Amino acid sequence: MSHAAGGHAAELYPENQIVAVGTLLAILGMYIAQFFPQVSMLLGGLLASAATVAGANTTRKVAAYGLGTGVPSIGMLSLGMGIISSVSGIYLVNALVKYFKVDALVLYAIPIVVTVIALILGYIVGRLTVKPIGMKIPVMVESMTKLSLMGALSILGFCAAYAGGFLPDIIIPGSIKNGVMALAFIAAGMAILHPFNACLGPDESHRRTLTLAVACGFLTWFVFSVAKLDVISTVVSLVLWALVYREFIKQSLKDACAVYYTPELPKREM
Amino acid sequence: MDFLSMLIPFVEITLAGAIINASVHFVPVGGAPAAMATSTGIGTGTTQLAAGAGFTGLMAAATIAAQSGVNIFNPLHWAIILLSGAVGSMIMLGLTMLMGQLIYVFGVGVVPAADKCERDPITGDYQKPYITPGTTGHGVPTVCFISGLIGAALGGIGGALAYVALIQLGFSPEIAGTIAVGFFFMNAVLASYNIGGTIEGFHDPKFKKIPNGIIASFVASLLTGVIVVLMSLGI
Repeated sequence: MSHAAGGHAAELYPENQIVAVGTLLAILGMYIAQFFPQVSMLLGGLLASAATVAGANTTRKVAAYGLGTGVPSIGMLSLGMGIISSVSGIYLVNALVKYFKVDALVLYAIPIVVTVIALILGYIVGRLTVKPIGMKIPVMVESMTKLSLMGALSILGFCAAYAGGFLPDIIIPGSIKNGVMALAFIAAGMAILHPFNACLGPDESHRRTLTLAVACGFLTWFVFSVAKLDVISTVVSLVLWALVYREFIKQSLKDACAVYYTPELPKREM
Repeated sequence: MDFLSMLIPFVEITLAGAIINASVHFVPVGGAPAAMATSTGIGTGTTQLAAGAGFTGLMAAATIAAQSGVNIFNPLHWAIILLSGAVGSMIMLGLTMLMGQLIYVFGVGVVPAADKCERDPITGDYQKPYITPGTTGHGVPTVCFISGLIGAALGGIGGALAYVALIQLGFSPEIAGTIAVGFFFMNAVLASYNIGGTIEGFHDPKFKKIPNGIIASFVASLLTGVIVVLMSLGI
């Protein structure tokens, strides 16, 4: 069910670096989707998948300690917090403009507000899992904070890419009211929880998990491109996915071979 | 919007989180060992089971709430929406347990037996002699089934309460449903971390950890409630 406690394979890139890059790229993607709606799916979708890759990397880090409930649970928690913070970010900024008569320019800060809310919500839920509940994972609080952030950014990123912007007038009818957000919830969730869930085990390697994470990110982008009937994005995402997935299969076969020929395994187990 | 019409949904959503968390503790979750019939309960994880039951409840509640003539502020209609959520959830989880039981008994060929109690608290049947050595029970015995139904009812009420609260705040059904799903997942996973994998039902010693889970969900829902009430100003 879960990986042996605390066992980590060597890290290819530091986790914080991946989280920082993922956050920046995803926020950049939302602004591109807002200001250049013609390429919203092509660039916005591509950059939103960076958030799912960073999320998958954090999942790998925290789930390697052994959650006791399976890897999918933390992915779903991440998306649960993410969907609350992304919807609330949009509406809270809208409330500022409508109710408190703040200048409409503040609407362009929605991605930043969503980031802040996701960080706060993730931190508090992370503290709750440690204090009354008693999870004994040292990186729980910071991982929850990062996962909440990545869940929120990937949902908002894909929704903004689909609707062609993150302003409330665009994203509420374009992505939330027609239910595309539910697709973002489960598709991005799969991209966050699947890579480590598929790769975990004693011979788990960071390179292979990351490759699968990138492939899953592209696959999510592909799903949204098909949903938007955007031909160029569909073709590009499919080609990129195929390239990365081929690389993943190659690495899997290589690693499987390495395990198979290791003399440590019992020879007459079958 | 006046203060009272915000306070009631706020209280509702806070309670909903606590109820959802409590509901998960009742559901007999066996996890991966149960999938191989070497542990009591249904063979999947807490999150998936609770989410399945909760979403069915949510949809049942939403269906009733969307009927013409239903006024969400009328206490009687409010109660009917909650009850329909509970019944929807119970049907879903009851069928899951029943079909799982058929497969365990006629497919795998094991006797339903609970590991955590000497005699079934409801039927009074002896359990220990029927457990295969090296395993921790099989299938879904009566006590687990009843416990699961209670859990499903609570989960349905919790999901419906969260949905109703969001509708009362003025959100459209799509947005209320989306937020309620995220809210449900958050509380169900907090509960599943509190359980720590598998549980048999209310007779399991792990059930005594329930206050910790409820406190955690209460605080998380309080925060969500504040966010959601502030959000409603922006509709």
